[in-house]
Amino acid sequence: MRIRQRKGSTTEPEPMKHLKNLAFALALLPLAASAQDRYMTRNGHIAFFSATPMENIEGNNHKVTSVWDVTTGAMQFAVLIKAFEFEKALMQEHFNENYMESNTFPKAEFKGKLAGITAEQLKKTGTYEVSVTGDLTIHGVSKPVSAKGKVTVDAAGAITASSDLIVKPEDHGIKIPGVVRKNIAEEITVKVRMEYAKM
Amino acid sequence: MRPKTMIFVGLTIAAVAGGYALMEYSRGVKGADDLHVVATLEAEQLLAEFTLDETAATAKYVGVTEQAIQVSGTIRTMEPTGDGKVTVVLETGDPLAGVTCEFAEAEVPLTWRSGSRVTVKGICTGLLMDVVLVRCAPVA
Repeated sequence: MRIRQRKGSTTEPEPMKHLKNLAFALALLPLAASAQDRYMTRNGHIAFFSATPMENIEGNNHKVTSVWDVTTGAMQFAVLIKAFEFEKALMQEHFNENYMESNTFPKAEFKGKLAGITAEQLKKTGTYEVSVTGDLTIHGVSKPVSAKGKVTVDAAGAITASSDLIVKPEDHGIKIPGVVRKNIAEEITVKVRMEYAKM
Repeated sequence: MRPKTMIFVGLTIAAVAGGYALMEYSRGVKGADDLHVVATLEAEQLLAEFTLDETAATAKYVGVTEQAIQVSGTIRTMEPTGDGKVTVVLETGDPLAGVTCEFAEAEVPLTWRSGSRVTVKGICTGLLMDVVLVRCAPVA
């Protein structure tokens, strides 16, 4: 499944340094919701792939923090840009310094809702088709996204949520110099995978 | 300069430049052990500084270019997280927040357990719910 950003609805850039951490997000989740319906992870995985004839670039981050309230559907994840890891040092340096400007915009974040699954279904083994809508903030620029994804409950009760997103760097104000334009794909595939545990 | 000499000099310069470019392109990512340690402190103190002033702590411990910090603490949890990585969380006195240290599985000493007092070198990447250190190495 793939998620594409909705076009034609841009929000103004905001300095990422003012983003609240996920602890604050927890406070935003409705108090009425039962704690038993809240899930979180500190070890979520986000990987992105840029494939061009010139070279393939892959970055991985295993330190994604996410909270999900099944009752309300509220879901949020945040990631530190400098925690992305690459095979080659040069890729990592260009990613941080030239494109993501991670000293100025140290975090990326998604805030939204995950729909299509209930707390009762999470008690049963299976794979459930879900949808996600919300705002994805990268490089200080928020864009609304809508997506499809999967939530899987295995026999041991482990819950995994996953989805693929397609992100265009230019939509988030990321400028790619002409000299390396052919080395970086215009659409980047971002794979999100969270293994949630009850809070 | 004779033509043959010029060609030889030109080819030599091209070979050196090409070799340097290839070496630079293939350069691997450094681990914490390869970087200068800019601070040595307890896990509790590290979290406290980030909680008090995230911007100042980020400037100090994350820095503009990659740097290492050395952190001591007691292991709260150890958990494999896939792709050959292990996350070690250090106690901070705050049950909702810790200092998480990501290791390559082979780097984690076999003697480490929950409750062990340890010292790690890591590259601080900032604060989410925890202070996050990556590419960590144990300090004997």
